[in-house]
Amino acid sequence: MIRAQLRLLFVSVVLSLVFACTDSGPVFHAQDRPLRLSEWNLYSLSADALIPSESSLVFRPANPLFTDYAHKLRSLWIPANTQAHLAEGEIDYPVGTVLSKTFYYPKNTQGAIEKREDPGLEKIDLQYNQLIETRLLVRKEMGWDAFPYVWNDEQTEAFLRVAGASKSIQLTSEQGTLDFVYFVPNENQCAGCHTTSHPDGDMHPLGAIASQLSSSVFPREGLMEIQTEILRARGWLDEIPIRMESKSWRDESYSIEDRALAYLNIHCGHCHNPNGAADTSGLILDGSHAIRINMGVCKPPVAAGGGSGDLLYGIVPGAPEQSILLYRMQSAKPDEMMPELGRSLVHVEGVELIGRWISEMPGSC
Amino acid sequence: MKFYKRAAKIIGILAIGLMIAGCGAEDPAMPELSFEESLQQQLIQARPGDVIEIPAGTHEMTRSLSLTVPGVTIRGAGMDRSILSFKNQIQGAEGLLVSADDFVIEDLAIEDTVGDALKVNESDNVTIRRVRAEWTGGALTTNGAYGIYPVQCNKVLIDDVLVIGASDAGIYVGQSSQIIVRNSRVEYNVAGIEIENSTFADVHDNIATNNTGGILIFDLPNLPVQGGRNTRVFDNQIFANNTANFAPEGNIVATVPTGTGLMILANDNIEVFGNDFIDNDSVNVLIVSYLITALPIDDPDYDPFPESIFIHNNQFSGGGETPDSEPLALLQSATAQSIPDVVWDGILVDGKQAKDILCLAENGEVTFVNLDASNGFAAPSFDTDAHRCSLPRLSVISLSPAAQ
Repeated sequence: MIRAQLRLLFVSVVLSLVFACTDSGPVFHAQDRPLRLSEWNLYSLSADALIPSESSLVFRPANPLFTDYAHKLRSLWIPANTQAHLAEGEIDYPVGTVLSKTFYYPKNTQGAIEKREDPGLEKIDLQYNQLIETRLLVRKEMGWDAFPYVWNDEQTEAFLRVAGASKSIQLTSEQGTLDFVYFVPNENQCAGCHTTSHPDGDMHPLGAIASQLSSSVFPREGLMEIQTEILRARGWLDEIPIRMESKSWRDESYSIEDRALAYLNIHCGHCHNPNGAADTSGLILDGSHAIRINMGVCKPPVAAGGGSGDLLYGIVPGAPEQSILLYRMQSAKPDEMMPELGRSLVHVEGVELIGRWISEMPGSC
Repeated sequence: MKFYKRAAKIIGILAIGLMIAGCGAEDPAMPELSFEESLQQQLIQARPGDVIEIPAGTHEMTRSLSLTVPGVTIRGAGMDRSILSFKNQIQGAEGLLVSADDFVIEDLAIEDTVGDALKVNESDNVTIRRVRAEWTGGALTTNGAYGIYPVQCNKVLIDDVLVIGASDAGIYVGQSSQIIVRNSRVEYNVAGIEIENSTFADVHDNIATNNTGGILIFDLPNLPVQGGRNTRVFDNQIFANNTANFAPEGNIVATVPTGTGLMILANDNIEVFGNDFIDNDSVNVLIVSYLITALPIDDPDYDPFPESIFIHNNQFSGGGETPDSEPLALLQSATAQSIPDVVWDGILVDGKQAKDILCLAENGEVTFVNLDASNGFAAPSFDTDAHRCSLPRLSVISLSPAAQ
């Protein structure tokens, strides 16, 4: 009897250890807030690589947000025997869903962090990459909850940092070296973007949504399938949404205007929408308004302070250099720059796109 | 039996040891939190009813703080004792950003933020008292825009605060309703106190001095909340607001003439009484329509004209001697007199009379001019009689006892 119990104890201990160390699949923490990322079991991590659990799906939204040229590995996991439902055209994920996004930078052979195009890796080779942070969005009973985890220098664990964190980074590019402080958002700042209806709205995902997953992914190589169809094939989604394609701002087959509006929507629209935190400014950039005064055309600033850059209007058609919108995108000063969060560097490619759009815009103020 | 017990114990201990060790060889160490990080963590994890104490001392902050939990009080040990210093701020557009109902902040200072010092967005029942917001380098264009900045809030009490150095407005209440701003001192800001696109405000017993403009009551187009009206400005001391305008261009306050006491722009139902207007070098009281800004108006819902302004029982002395405004300077050289105490641009919408816009009563030896702006300032009129009238008194703003 006792011998049997002892055997059982021994076997269970061994099994639990084995499971803890191999890919037994993610764990949903319904109540607690794990201090270590490893407690979610989303990845297998060795000295060589970080590999998402086989039971999760690596995905890529059509329009990713700029985050200081960091690369991103995103994964989605839904608990066994559950399914997301299509509700009013949007994906409604079941309780227990875990979305994760790991931010990292590629390193060259000398170990220096490099500015490079995100190739959209499905696993991260730690010899050539530096892990920075992993953000989780977890669907709990009461709604989505955000968890910012920050990787240690040893790259062996990421810890929950409710209040965010900062990290000095030296980014090497062909143009030279950029020294900057990379900011991990605190939990309120997570909600700052993921709660698009201010202040009483619920948090929701911005990447794993119907429009972002209904599109062909750019660059087109790699994931060829439409991602909502992959979800459906896995049995994770009951119905494929009607394709409402997010036009990718990077896809040059679209017009400059389409690309500019897509860029502004994803980078500005979560606050600058009719119910957003920035509706106080009357500047609406989520595409719900015509390209007129509420999109900034000949609109004086309201509470911009130094963010006005001594300029008179949000957008002056044909004159990007006189447009506050572009001024704030070109600034890296915390009180002037837009978006306010999520970057310390100027997004050169975004500035080029919006600058071109404004310069080709007809009219004057 | 004993052996098995011991074996079980050993396996147990071994198991716990292995579990603690996890899969790696060593357990990675948890990072330690700074004061700043602990405070932000406290703000995030607060529960309704919590009081978060800021101990005495100067606390260096590098990132914006934020609060979204309702019913929280942030309390320091005094506006000169508990100081949140953002001198080395490298992230965030404000010092403290609040989006939470039933919010109280008291007895502390917020210094040298890169942007706004305290912004409260879309919150009800907001109490801000004995708080100091200051840019310690004086009046500089590079200072943050607003000191105390509730926007889209209901029931706001701002009591006994001190704001120095804002490059826009020291106390700025925007797109809000049911507001009291009292017993406060605003100095060396572009605008001392600004009530913008708001309704039902009492601004009283404040001292506004050394700003570019002492108190502004504005209504602007293209905002989700407009139709600014029903504000009482009373028992304030508004003197020597003669600091050269240092607002960045583009912002509406950059158009405020240096040396303005009280400026009313496109607001309706404003009662101004019991104030002392002294030595505001451009003009003690200026009432204008939005048209005077010459900015385009592309908003069919916007009313650019002021209406039902009742100015009575105020004391005026000095001021208007060095006007910082082209039409006012022209008037001064034409008359060889200082600018009258009360100036109205004279722009009338069709069907309205002068008395629909402005009534003057019991202001002692008050002087007045209608600038005739709609006719290119051709024939300014000094006829006070056209405005000798009175309007119904506005009602007192009273907030719920909890907010008092």
